[in-house]
Amino acid sequence: MKEEFLKKWQMGLQIYRPLIDNTSVSERRKAIKLSADVAMASLRKGTTCWSRALIQKTATEDNFLVRQMLSGIKAETLINKKLPKVMCHRKIVRRSKKILRRRQSRSAIEEVAAKARKLVKKKTQGLRNVVPGGEFMSNDVLLIQETLDYIVSLQTQVNVMRSIVDAAEAGSERTAYYLGKLKFAIEDG
Amino acid sequence: MDLSGRFGARSGDGVPFREATALESLHLGGGGEEFRQMVPPENAGGFTALLELPPTQAVELLHSSSSSASQATTLHSLGTLSFPSNPLLMERASRFSVIATENQQNGNVSGETTTTSSVPSNEHIKTEPAETETCDQAAVEKQSNRCGKRKELDKKVKSSTKKKSKSSEENEKLPYVHVRARRGQATDSHSLAERARREKINARMKLLQELVPGCDKIQGTALVLDEIINHVQSLQRQVEMLSMRLASVNPRIDFNLDTILASENGSLMDGSFSEQSYHHRQLQQPPSQQWPFDGLNQPVWGREENQDHGNDHNNLMVGSASLHPNQVKMEL
Repeated sequence: MKEEFLKKWQMGLQIYRPLIDNTSVSERRKAIKLSADVAMASLRKGTTCWSRALIQKTATEDNFLVRQMLSGIKAETLINKKLPKVMCHRKIVRRSKKILRRRQSRSAIEEVAAKARKLVKKKTQGLRNVVPGGEFMSNDVLLIQETLDYIVSLQTQVNVMRSIVDAAEAGSERTAYYLGKLKFAIEDG
Repeated sequence: MDLSGRFGARSGDGVPFREATALESLHLGGGGEEFRQMVPPENAGGFTALLELPPTQAVELLHSSSSSASQATTLHSLGTLSFPSNPLLMERASRFSVIATENQQNGNVSGETTTTSSVPSNEHIKTEPAETETCDQAAVEKQSNRCGKRKELDKKVKSSTKKKSKSSEENEKLPYVHVRARRGQATDSHSLAERARREKINARMKLLQELVPGCDKIQGTALVLDEIINHVQSLQRQVEMLSMRLASVNPRIDFNLDTILASENGSLMDGSFSEQSYHHRQLQQPPSQQWPFDGLNQPVWGREENQDHGNDHNNLMVGSASLHPNQVKMEL
């Protein structure tokens, strides 16, 4: 899992190689992040909803990268197809619900239960905002499945990236040290 | 969507039934079905479920009986007849409740319930109303027990009758759910499907709780979801930070794909190794190219030792992380 992610990520970074002398840090960061995200999403090969949504999101920013990274056939279908789900206008739904609910007997226990249910609904909405493509997941079973998968992938992504970064930073310290030494040696000699 | 209804404790089976009605109405974009919309807030089987178990079960029996009664198309008219008049409704309700307990016991004995097996229970209901016309006293007693909840019962039965008309066609199309009906719970296929869904969701929530650190101790769904959201957000932020750090570390990010070996330790180290090699080739003269490699070798090996422990942890985490998707996929 980790190796595949690393390979794909490097493939993506190599696409950026001619552009890698981008001067600004932010552009490089964006390149790194995008290629990492697409690598992670492509590992799932379009089976999961979040991976498709993620690929589509990055396709809006960098179509070329996505096409190169995915293996051709899927790329076209994934990029072009947009998930067809009508997003209900929450305000309107909420208002109509309020009107219909106005006349009702509510015992104290029911009110507590209703509040708890509202809380849970709010949280699931928050979860939908965080998980890519969450708004398109119609039922809750799917949502939780997707979050499971997404969390696992995020964790591997973070682990791989962290080890690379640690190695790179440790390496850069030493290289800076050696560079300093070299410079000193050259200046002396 | 109605996640909250799914998360009700496993007591109230009337809950998913009613939630299903609400869900259906939402799906239909229905503002038209007043009764259905009025049903959700009345659900008493939420998180304070244990307290309400007795009343909800009583209402469940009502539900199950009334719903299972309508599954047979001939009884459909009966259900609608009971709709308008309240006292008649109470009598019928009480009668059905008497029957329902027996039916449920039968259902439980039979074990797996499918759509076909609910038919014999319908026949039971058909024959028994004729018999129990005489036990009015029992009906009266049950009426007095339930007069406090009369309003709710009315609305719920109304909603259930309205729902029956829709669900009577749907019941055949529902996939077979081989679920063992628990004692005292409804045995009609629709509520079984709902219960199966709820259990699916609960199982997955448990997996999530195991995955997210610190979620085991938390009671209650909303807080667990909170933790999950925080965890996901923190992971996303970590990715951004790491990419920022990586971008600022070296202007040339070059990885030699050939040097990536099967072992993770090797791959990670080789990746960084070749990256520095390129880095140096950029900056230094060719003749001095040799010693950066040698110079780097030692730090590389040194680092490898340190990172072995880290990577062992990573290995373990990967093992456990990859176990989870396997588990998840198996359950699916």
